Amino acid sequence: MEVQTSRFGTVEIAEDRVINFPKGLLGFQEQKRYCLLQPNDDACFFWLQSLENPDLAFVITDPNLFVAEYSVPIRNEQMEDLRLSKLEDAQVFVIVNKVGEKLTGNLQGPLVVNTLAKVGEQFVLAEKRWTTRHELMKLEAPARAASA
Amino acid sequence: MLVLSRQRDETIMIGDDIEITVVDIRGDKVRVGITAPSRIAVHRKEVYEAIRAENERAAVVGASEFDPGDAGPAKTGGATQGGALSPRLTPITGQKQNQRTTGQSRRRRA
Repeated sequence: MEVQTSRFGTVEIAEDRVINFPKGLLGFQEQKRYCLLQPNDDACFFWLQSLENPDLAFVITDPNLFVAEYSVPIRNEQMEDLRLSKLEDAQVFVIVNKVGEKLTGNLQGPLVVNTLAKVGEQFVLAEKRWTTRHELMKLEAPARAASA
Repeated sequence: MLVLSRQRDETIMIGDDIEITVVDIRGDKVRVGITAPSRIAVHRKEVYEAIRAENERAAVVGASEFDPGDAGPAKTGGATQGGALSPRLTPITGQKQNQRTTGQSRRRRA
């Protein structure tokens, strides 16, 4: 199927790449269908691109690449909602933001995706330990032109 | 909005299985006890608002200035096939019901 995106133009993706977020994301409850775009093979950042709004895309990443001890608590009912029969079928992502010269991850509102059923949900964590702006990395200053 | 007056230790029922009890009133703080089926998520509204605000900001930032790895014309990724990325979920067991107490501004109390 073809996906219209404002960043990459028209992108062709397989139907089974579509991820449904039945509840949408907080603040974007109307957009329920997304696909995952990968900038390059070894990328650790991905685009979560809305299929319904070409302008809507989020940069997301695997939080455990940056925060090894991060783990998302999940209840049985949430597993049922996601049609998860085992934890191994799930993938956790967090939405990435740029704050000043830092990249931050929303560790308080992680995205949990059933990678088999392609169903996702944004969780809300009660733990104060994780915030909406957890620092993932500092951006390097843009390279200056080498002096002659 | 429905507004009800309650005294300490009095309860409001929402549907058949959600109970909200005024546990304590002290100064301008009210402590509220909530009993609900575990399917019902109970959170302070500020947490929702913070996540929503961060989502909206991320959508804007993504649209303008943030270009991860010179994203270029995207390949459609294989990340959802698992493998390279690790799931990190911790099952919550035990407790059949949410039983939480949360501070709420008195002005907002029902």
